[in-house]
Formats: sequence, C-alpha cells, structure tokens
Amino acid sequence: MAEVTSGGERRGFKDRAVERVARAVAGDRLDELQSRLEELSAEVQECRQLNIRLAEVTDLVEQLLLPMAAQDQEKIAAAVEKYTRTL
Amino acid sequence: MPDQTPRTTVDRVDEVGVHLSAGEDLVVDVLFDGRRIWSFWTVRDTRLDGGVLLAEWPSMLKRFLKGTTRLSVVEHVTGAVAYDAEVRLGDRDERIAVVDATGRPLSIDKSNRISTMFDTRDEEHVKPLLDSTEQVLAALHDAGVEAFPAYGTLLGAIREQNFIGHDNDVDLGYVSRHTHPLDVIRESFRLQRALREQGYAVDRYSAAAFKVDVVEADGGVRGLDVFGGYFLDGRLYLMGEIGTPFQEDWIFPLGTCTLAGRTLPAPARPEKLLEATYGPGWKVPDPAFHFETPRTTYRRLNGWFRGGRAMRNEWDRRFSMLREKLPTGKPSALAHYVAEQEPDLARLVDVGAGRAVDALWFARQGVPTLGLDFAWGAANAVRRTVDAEGVPLELGWMSLNEPRSVMAWGARVARFEERPVLMANHLLDAVDQLGVESFVRFARMSLSGGGRVYADFYALQAGEDRYVPQGRTDWIRPKRAEDVADALERSGADIVHSTQVEATTTRREFAVADRPVARLVGEWRK
Repeated sequence: MAEVTSGGERRGFKDRAVERVARAVAGDRLDELQSRLEELSAEVQECRQLNIRLAEVTDLVEQLLLPMAAQDQEKIAAAVEKYTRTL
Repeated sequence: MPDQTPRTTVDRVDEVGVHLSAGEDLVVDVLFDGRRIWSFWTVRDTRLDGGVLLAEWPSMLKRFLKGTTRLSVVEHVTGAVAYDAEVRLGDRDERIAVVDATGRPLSIDKSNRISTMFDTRDEEHVKPLLDSTEQVLAALHDAGVEAFPAYGTLLGAIREQNFIGHDNDVDLGYVSRHTHPLDVIRESFRLQRALREQGYAVDRYSAAAFKVDVVEADGGVRGLDVFGGYFLDGRLYLMGEIGTPFQEDWIFPLGTCTLAGRTLPAPARPEKLLEATYGPGWKVPDPAFHFETPRTTYRRLNGWFRGGRAMRNEWDRRFSMLREKLPTGKPSALAHYVAEQEPDLARLVDVGAGRAVDALWFARQGVPTLGLDFAWGAANAVRRTVDAEGVPLELGWMSLNEPRSVMAWGARVARFEERPVLMANHLLDAVDQLGVESFVRFARMSLSGGGRVYADFYALQAGEDRYVPQGRTDWIRPKRAEDVADALERSGADIVHSTQVEATTTRREFAVADRPVARLVGEWRK
C-alpha cells in the first residue's frame, strides 16, 4: 500500500514549498496578492451570476411584452396565467 | 477470469467495514450472497486504520448489516476474488437482505446513495424506462433542441449497448446552438415552458438543467435528468461536470446509438464526449467512479447557472415522508389572527404555504385562496383534496430565489378582482436576506392596488447580533423585526401593527424553544 501515495499529500507538500519560496521573494506582497486574488475571484463570480438575473427578466418581459403592446386585456391575463402555470 | 491473482488482500470484514491491504488502487465490488452491494477504490476510498486500510461501510448501508451472508470482495475489472467467506455482522442469525420495503434489491451507487440498480431490474421494468426516454427525447426535439443520452446512459449505450448494471437513472443532454450563457438560460426556461405545456412536471436543478417527471404505465413516476450545454470559444460546457476543448462536429450532426435494442440519437463522435466525461479510461467499467471536475469548470458552471436551489433539497427532504398524507395539524396562530382581523376577507394569498394547512383552512371556509411555495410536493395530499372537494384553492410554484416566478405571480395577484390579503407564516425566518427582499417585492407588486400583508417570524432578540443555528437541521434564520419593517416601509407600506407574540406553532419543522415571534402587519394604501 506504500506504493500508492495519496495525491493530496504530495500537493500539500509542494504547495508549502512553493509558498516558502514565494514568501522569500515577495515578502508581505504575497498576502496582499493572495487577498486581491480572492477578491477578484469573487468579483468574477458576481459578474457571472448576472446572467441568471438578466435571463429571468428578459424571459418574463419577452413573454409579456407582446400581449401588453396589443393592449388586449384578455391576452395579457392569459399570458400572465400561462407564465405562472408553466413555472 | 476468476482464477486471476488478486492485488488486494482482505485482512478481515467486521461491523466497521472491510480491512485490507492494496497492491495498487483498484475498484473492488463487495458482494452479499453473490449480489453486488457496494464498490469502492482500495486506496482512494479507504483510510489507514491499525496498520491496514479500512473501507468503512457507507452510512446508508449500516442499518442492513445485521445477520449472516456469504461475503465476497472481487476486483471489478479482472474478476479476481480477494475474499470469499461466510461472515456474521451483529448478533442476528438470519441472512442479510439489502432490500426496500417491497423486497426490491438495493445497492450503493457511486454517490453513496442506496437504490435499485439496473442489474436487478428485468425487461418488464426496463421497457417503461426506455419508453419514457424516447418520449422525453421527442418532447425536447419538439421544443427545439437535439437531445441525446448523456453521462452514464451514453456510456452504457456505447460500451455495452445497454444500461450499466451498477447505474440507476437516465441522463439526457443537449448542446445549445447559443453561444452566451444568458441565451442558454433563456432557452432552458423556454424548454421548461414547452415541457410543462405538454403536461410534464419539471423540477429545475439549475438555470441549465432540470428533471422531467414521466408517469409510466403502472402509475409510477420516473425522473429523467436533462443537462444543457453550449460551446464557448472552442470549449464544450455541459452541466454538470464538463468543460473541455471540443469540436462542434463531434456533436453535430447527431448520429445514433443503441440502448437495450432501441435506436436513439447520439453525439456524432460519442467516444469523444465519453472521454471528456470519464477520461481516456472510459472503456474500463468503474462502479465507484467519482467526477474530478476541474475547479475552473466548477466555478464557471456555478457562476453561470447555479445558486437558485438554496434550501430546496432540505425542504423537499423534510416533507418527503409527509407529502402524501393529508395534514391533520391545526391552522397557525397567524391564520386565526388574519381571520379575526379581516372579517370581509375576499381573497387570501399564503406565501410559503408548505403543506397548505392554512391555505386549505381558509379555502374550506369559502375564501378563494392561493398557496405558493417552492417545495411543490409538500402539498401533494392537499392538491388531491382540492380536486376532490372542489374548494376554491389554487396551489402554485414560486421561489423567492427565482425573480421571474416572483414577478409573474406578483403581476397575476395584482390583477385579482378582489383585494387580496397576503400572509407569510414563518417564511421570513426560513430565507436569507435576498429572500426577504424578494418577498417584499412580491408584496408590493401584489398589493399595488392596496391591501395588507401579515407576517409571523422568529425574531432576533435585543442585543443579539446574529443567530447561531442549533445543529445541522436547524434552518431557522431569525430576522430583526425592525429590519423587516424598514424593508416594507421603503417599498411604500405603512406598518399598521408590530408586536411580539407567543410562539404557538406546534409544527415540528419550526419548533424553537424560547424564541420570540415577531408579528408585523404592513399596508399599502391605494
């Protein structure tokens, strides 16, 4: 069983070695860069998440806009009813 | 090849699990009386214990492990037998039977869940599944996408022209012709609408994947998973695990594959998709396969498509044992209060209706009532009662995490002829801040012609910054009463009543000791 070493442990060791070298070169800048990287990753996710919000609004507007534009109360009511029924 | 020399040495098998030594990391099957019950990788899925490796019994299996069985550990690929002996677990003498309440054989799947697998289903059970698969493929085709079997179903079709014995569901996939996640999501919404119009129940997993329920000939309901995908900059992204360099002509034009004798659509080069899904070793069976989705793919798919199901699984699970039983509980304190305060109640909307106890109570008094919730199955029994009794109750699906559902219902309620009253019993303490904002938007839209909203919720006490959940199954998220009142006022409501009431609910899911309940009544005046 010793022939197989878990990948996790190897990575852990390598990560620590890389961090030691990076810290020797970059000093305090390393913490700053790490924290900036975390911020940027979070900001990228925030942007990606806009897709769903925008798609929801677009979908709803698209389904309701035509009956609204026709100013046909029956069609508007039917469109709203269908939208809620098929969620 | 059962005479092969195994690379795995089993030390012993006991109530804790299988103790073994591994020459290399191999997938092994654990058989009880000759039937596969569980599979695991001898290194990946074990831990060191007392100088050897230990594969602990999966928690879902433990309750069955009392009795005797002929237990074998067999290397899955070569068939080499590493262990084969009569064992006794616990202190009972009867044979261990891993079966469900109706006696159907169960085993552990790759996600450590327990269910019936294809290898124990006979043709008469597989036929309706094939029929359903063809039916949903045709429905998706009619709705405008070219779907095909994906994941384990495609793997089985290409490798064995059949379902994989250790698999238990059907997965379908399609690749959108759109190239922007926003359009892929809109298309997925459109597909959902088309399938709902065709009469299917659809349960959305993410903005690009959903489950379609098919009612089979015996009345049973089977869910087929449908995963959407698209091409972006030469990469194929497919919910929920794939993000890889891929050529469009490996998908289109679709070809065919054979699954248990039926000819079904398939990607033009199915082996390319299987390699992207399972790696170059896809031809070698692995009943304990785990996806190792790269972080960047996981983050992309999460960011584009996921996040709308917060707390859905938890609530669905909580109601799963109750939903087919008609609730016998009494109406809530808030329902009584609304009835007292609104003697001329013409229309009631219960948001977060749950099992619809309150909604049914109002409807049976002749008040036209709308109950909205995101745990659709919770009110199954009441839904049947409504059909049978003909009471004026409508039950609809709305999720405070899906603004489109909130806005559409808001628009619909605003068009009611009668002036509606809104109530939310222990809803605001079950959602996060986005949920509160969504609820306030719904109330403002619904009551744009004037009307009142009543809410009971667990409140944060004075001096309490935040609530610390009491264990993993405590989902109560108390809110500061002033914060909720502020949110309503900012939306144009006047707070006409704000008080603290005794916690009177006896509903198990909301039982919290010594926690004050805030009661707020907001009013939009016309």
